[in-house]
Parts: sequence; structure tokens; C-alpha cells
Amino acid sequence: MSVVVPAAMLVLWELCSRLAIISPRYFPPPTTVGWVLADRVAAGDLGAELVVTLTRLVFAFALAAVPAIPLGLLMGIARPVRHVVEPYLAFIFPVPKITLLPFLLIILGLGEPAFVLTGASSAFFQIVISTLAGVQTMDPRLLDVGRNYGAHGLRLFGKVILPAALPAIFTGLRLGLGLALVTLVAVEFIAAKSGLGHLVYRHWQMLSTPEMYAAFALIGAVGLVLTRGLRALQARVLTWQDDSGG
Amino acid sequence: MKALGRWLTEHGMTVGSPIALLLAWEWASATGLLRAVFFPRPSTILAHLRDLALDGTLWGHTATTLARIGWSFTLAAVLGVAIGLAMGLWRRLREGLDPVFAVIYPIPSVLFLPLVSFIVPAGEVALVVTSAVTSFFLIAFTTTHGVRQIDRLVVEAAVHYGARGWRLFATVLLPGALPFIFTGLRLGLGFSLIVVVAVEIVSASRGLGALLWLSWQILKVEDMYATFFVIALLGALLSYGLAALRDRLLPWVPDVGDR
Repeated sequence: MSVVVPAAMLVLWELCSRLAIISPRYFPPPTTVGWVLADRVAAGDLGAELVVTLTRLVFAFALAAVPAIPLGLLMGIARPVRHVVEPYLAFIFPVPKITLLPFLLIILGLGEPAFVLTGASSAFFQIVISTLAGVQTMDPRLLDVGRNYGAHGLRLFGKVILPAALPAIFTGLRLGLGLALVTLVAVEFIAAKSGLGHLVYRHWQMLSTPEMYAAFALIGAVGLVLTRGLRALQARVLTWQDDSGG
Repeated sequence: MKALGRWLTEHGMTVGSPIALLLAWEWASATGLLRAVFFPRPSTILAHLRDLALDGTLWGHTATTLARIGWSFTLAAVLGVAIGLAMGLWRRLREGLDPVFAVIYPIPSVLFLPLVSFIVPAGEVALVVTSAVTSFFLIAFTTTHGVRQIDRLVVEAAVHYGARGWRLFATVLLPGALPFIFTGLRLGLGFSLIVVVAVEIVSASRGLGALLWLSWQILKVEDMYATFFVIALLGALLSYGLAALRDRLLPWVPDVGDR
């Protein structure tokens, strides 16, 4: 079934487009899109745009994860820190992060830092919140047991708290990476002059629909590989834990 | 008085830290430590917010955005719950649609605007449909999962006692899936706001997203901050207000998204 239905949908689309039941101008047959995709990949320009988007994603993700995990852990351990930071998290978390783009654009100017930071901000808040939740929802008995056996301070943190929070941190990283990709592609669509998101925008404006769908398909593939791949990795690395907060 | 004191020791930091930050910001912008061009004083922003509210600009844009959120959320909720339930009940449908959804879901919904504008009239309808895409998938996923996680024993017991068809669905399957459906709806509503604002930035001339983007383009920085504040307020209202409403109306329904 999982092969039949998608295949049937593609065949149906192909037929409707070929027979001009749906406008081939707006909905070119999948085979045409496939050929264009192969063609552009062979020519190298699609690959180049993919690399641009992925590079931005790597920077955004790193910029988010490196401060977010320590902050989340610190908030989990130290109550005062949590009380001080929480209002900002609560205020910014539900806000569409794309609205930060104009602010970063006026402060940093139109360019890579503004694009990357917008993507990073959407991952950052997710990772902080997941990490914090990981520390907060850990079984308090684990802490008691650790203390009873003489683990304090750094030892307690390294041997008990961090391992207990690890699955939630991983979940946060996985969700954060997905959010960063979504935000980055949207930023590319709106403001950047390169990347897969911009490719969709440009080909929409020029009505070169096969190229548009090709870029579309590539974005879907990247998202699929990232989400599925990380989930598989998580299941492998953290075999003893359920996926929490996913 | 005593209660107030206790409340303050409990929440003092949480309330104090934003106030301290705002005061520090006010002072830094006033003395020129922060460039007021980029970081206007909070009091100035507040004055602009008041002006925008008084001349009606803000209400018009907010109403437009709220109406769009309402329409796209309704569209996503109706289709998402229906298809999610169907996918939860029929294995073949689930197996067939899963790979299709898996490829489409990670694509940012703003990108669907071109596609949608080929199918439905461009403008308001295209905007609403585009904004519904992500919420739809989210609601469909959680609903499917909600049906699937129902204990098999419960279903078998119900079947034993003669519940079939509609009865089984209405008395066992739907109530069992309800917590997940609610979580899906709550998350979906939050996403509706996010996507509506994003699509407004791209293509609309009205709405809060459009107001934010236009304020940027003509460098009305104070209006940008004021608009951002309203969007954040709306986001807080939608996500925390709905959770509070659920706790109030359906206290027995656990929020599975809070785990």
C-alpha cells in the first residue's frame, strides 16, 4: 500500500496533465519534473543551491544548539536562572520566528548573518524548552538515589541528571533542526537571493513550473531525510529510552 | 498583604526580570548606549503602539489576521480530524497516505503559496488555504496516533459487549482519541498563527505580518516593535489561553503534548 498509493497518485497526475485535464502549464507531468530535476542536478546548479541551504542550516543549527543546551540544563538545575529566563521564553516561543527577520535585517543588514540567525532562533527556543523539560520531568527518585550514594555537584550532574535528560535533549535537537530548516527555507523564499527556498520563489515568479516543482521535491526530500534519519539515529543511540516529547 | 508577599517571593524574579530589562533598555537607548535607530526606547514604542491603536490601524490589521487564522484553522481542523480518524481506523489508507504525508509535511507551508495559487483564486482564499496546510498535517497526525494508541483490550471488550460500527466509534474510539485530538488542535492553532503571519509577510497588504513587513520597508522601526508586540501577545493568548481553557472545560483530558 505504501508504494501503491503514492505511485497511483503520480500516475494519475501524469495522465491528467498529459491529457490536459489539469493545466500542464501549472501542473506539469511528474516525468517532466523528474527530467528537469535530473537535468538541473547534472548541470550542477540545483546541487549548488542545495549546498547553500544546507550550509545555512548547519550554521543556524550550531548557533542554536551550542548555547541552548547549557541554558536549558542550567534552567533545570538552578531555580533562580529558570525564574529569570522563563518570561522571555514564554513570550518569544509562540511567536512566529520569521517575524524576527525584519529586526535582524535592520540590525545586521540584508545578508547571511540575518538569515542564519532567524533560522537559529527557531531551533534555539525549541532546544531550550526540550532540555529544560528533560531535567524537570526526570524521576526525582533517581536524584535521591544518586545523593544517597554520595553523588553531589558535578558528579550528580554528570552521572544522573545529564543521562536522564539526554533523550529529551536529543528530541529537542531533532525538532530544532526541523524548525530551523522550515524557517530558513521560508526566509530564503521571502528575502534571500539564493538557496532552495529562493529557487521556488524565482521559478514561481517566472512561471517555470517544472523547475519550481523540482526545487519543491528536493526540499521535501531534505526534510524527510533529516527527520527520519535523526529519528532512526535517536532510536539507535538511545535504545533504552522512549521518544519523549516527540 | 501576606498573600501578596508570598506571591512576590515566589514570582518576584519572573516579574522583576522583564521589568529590569525594560528599564535597562530604556536607559541604554536614552543615553545612546544602544542605537535608538535600531532599539527605540520602550516608552517610545508604547507611544507608537497607542497611536496605532487610536487611529484604528492596529485593530483593522489584527481583525484581518484573526479572521484568516479562524478560517484556516477551521479548514485544517475539519479536514485534519476527519482524515486523521479515517487513517486511524483503516490500516490500508494509513499505509497509503503515510509516505505521501511524510514527504509533504517537512516542506514549509509558505512554499505552498505558489502551488495553492494555481488551484484556487489568488488572494484571500489562497492565503487561507496555504495557512491551513501545516496545521492540517499536524492535526491529522495526532488524531491518527490518538486512535492507534487506544488499548486493544478496551476495543475488544467493547466489541464483546456488542458495540459495533457507529456505536463503537462514538463510545470507544472517539473518546479514546480525544486527548490527542485536543493536543493536535491546540498545536494546530498555534501553527495557524505562525503560518498566517508568514504568508502575510510574503504576499498580503493587510494583516499583522504585512504591517510588520511594510514597517520594515519604510523603516518605521517603532511600528515594527509595536506590531511584533501585538503578534507575540496573540501567540501567548492562543497557546496559553487555549491550554487554560482546556484545563477549565475538560479537566480530565490530559494534554499529551506536555510530556
